[in-house]
Amino acid sequence: MDQLLQALVSGLLLGGFYAVMVLGFSVIWGVMGVINLAHGEFLMIGAYLAWGMFRLFGLDPFASLVLILPLMFLVGYLLQIVLINRVVERPHLMTLLVTFGVSIALANLFKILFESDPRNVAVSYNGSVELAGITFPIVKTIIFVAALLIMLCLHLFLQRSRLGKSIRAAAQNKNAARIVGVDINRVYAITAGICIAVTAAAGAMLSPTQAIFPFMGPPFTLKAVTITALGGLGRIPGALMGGIILGIAEIFVATYVPGIGTNLGVATSFVLLVLILVVRPQGLLGGLRPLDAEAE
Amino acid sequence: MGAQGEQTETKIEGKEENGASSAEPAREPHRSRLRQRLTRPFGSWTGLTLWLLLLLLLAAYPYTGVSSLALLVGSQIFVLVTLASNWNLIGGLTGYVDFGHAVFFGIGAYVMGILVTRTPLLISPEWGFWQALPVSGVAAAIFALLIGLPTLRLKGPYFSIAMLGTFMAMREIARVLRPITGGGIGLNLPPILNRLGDYYLMLAVMGLVVALIWWIRRSEFGQSLIAIREDEVGAEMRGINTTLHKIVAFMIAAFFTGIVGGFWAWQNTFIDPDVVFIETRTVEMVMMSMLGGLGTVWGPPLGAVVIYFLQDLVWANLFGVHLLALGLLLVVMVLFLPEGILGTLGDRSSTSLGRLLGRVGKGS
Repeated sequence: MDQLLQALVSGLLLGGFYAVMVLGFSVIWGVMGVINLAHGEFLMIGAYLAWGMFRLFGLDPFASLVLILPLMFLVGYLLQIVLINRVVERPHLMTLLVTFGVSIALANLFKILFESDPRNVAVSYNGSVELAGITFPIVKTIIFVAALLIMLCLHLFLQRSRLGKSIRAAAQNKNAARIVGVDINRVYAITAGICIAVTAAAGAMLSPTQAIFPFMGPPFTLKAVTITALGGLGRIPGALMGGIILGIAEIFVATYVPGIGTNLGVATSFVLLVLILVVRPQGLLGGLRPLDAEAE
Repeated sequence: MGAQGEQTETKIEGKEENGASSAEPAREPHRSRLRQRLTRPFGSWTGLTLWLLLLLLLAAYPYTGVSSLALLVGSQIFVLVTLASNWNLIGGLTGYVDFGHAVFFGIGAYVMGILVTRTPLLISPEWGFWQALPVSGVAAAIFALLIGLPTLRLKGPYFSIAMLGTFMAMREIARVLRPITGGGIGLNLPPILNRLGDYYLMLAVMGLVVALIWWIRRSEFGQSLIAIREDEVGAEMRGINTTLHKIVAFMIAAFFTGIVGGFWAWQNTFIDPDVVFIETRTVEMVMMSMLGGLGTVWGPPLGAVVIYFLQDLVWANLFGVHLLALGLLLVVMVLFLPEGILGTLGDRSSTSLGRLLGRVGKGS
């Protein structure tokens, strides 16, 4: 019973992180129809930035978000203007190939800059608290709370602000948005900026809990696809739900399949993904747009 | 049979060229035929003849007294050409862009590694290789059957991502199954150096694969694959068993990729999850096919040779950045050379990437 509760709580905490990790991916997909295969690499960059600031200035990973968010917003904005806006109107697989290329280039750039040695950020509060027989790792709990906060902010921004409304308009109907005077390229660039900033922030928050290395990205990209298939495109509650499902599934596999630890995370999420895509190609909540419909 | 295939092909292409005005009788059929001859420098039979000649020349090459390094380079290029042609069968001809094709390479390599190092039933290491090589291919083909049944039902980007997932999941599984695969420590194969044998083996495999693709491209089977690429629902309506065709193409591509993987493991004498299941290998296959011209017979081999020498150039001068360069090159290629070399030179049998991908286009 305790083991079950513990697995549920761990899965929930992991799911909170997954939810904030997937946001950038699913909003980019939902708004501009681009499947960003370099998603995990931006997470990796965020983790490296947090590590760098921790080592150089002794800055706490959560405090360094203040610097990482605007910096990575700029990176995302420029990337969108220089590269993605050129291919965004072209077919799906074209953007897939471009982002695949970006992903390989970024991972190897960081390998050249920082070698392949795993880095880690050793924060002082890396312990855990026991509450009613259940262990709460402190860092992971902070990540969970921060993730909920970030999601709330993004939700309010998308729902309430004028810019957020134009982003949603661009997602719903690009041409109609153009007609009423939305500058699509600018809106796309801002969307990419926000998404990549949030992704890097997720990476920075992750940095105290796992080793940082140049090739850590691709598994996160795959998990992002799975969660998006579970929870739908660009919807924040969906991302939270999908993240928690995947988190709990992973922890359960790790708890109840003996002898493998958390080593089968990717395989778990892959099996889930193929199951969903084959059984319900429109996504679990019907949030994935079928490709044929997009051609219209 | 062959001529019939070609006729169908001409019809399809003629229709595409005329576009909307296909209802009118074809304009000046003779001239368009002539143009086709001129713009297809490697026309069907000429192409095969030239290919056989090239193979003969390559077979004679070791007799000119070359170093063993040259033989190694030769076998490496043959490996790349074989991989590119295999990928082209599923990615270019059938239009299912496979981002995880290296998984078959890895399976072939691991089957070879496991059979050679862990089974006592092989006669000797030297002969064990010949026993294990076909098994590598068959294992990869069986895996393709099992994984293709669910994934080949997915369309466009979903297939690509599912295959990327297959690839990453298999790497993880190879790492976890320590008692069989050696986990992260890897497997050491017996080091038996035979550069000349390697050279001829890969030359034979490459010759076979490229000739096979050439034949498929002309056959009814190949035409059905192209029909699936152009319009899968339409192909199904015309009575093509699309599932069967896709699976068979996938299995052929996987079989030879597995063979190459097994060979590579033998030549490299060491495998672990990170050197065998490596994204770069898939990227290379995609790029070589794209650079040469997707869906053409001769494009991917050409692309493979170009990429090999490009990499050699970059590798020699800027140690360590060649993968960075590879990623950037992919981006540049998609932006500026989406039709590949043969496509840009006007080979009508090339699939423009735009056209291939336009099938799942987003419109507007």
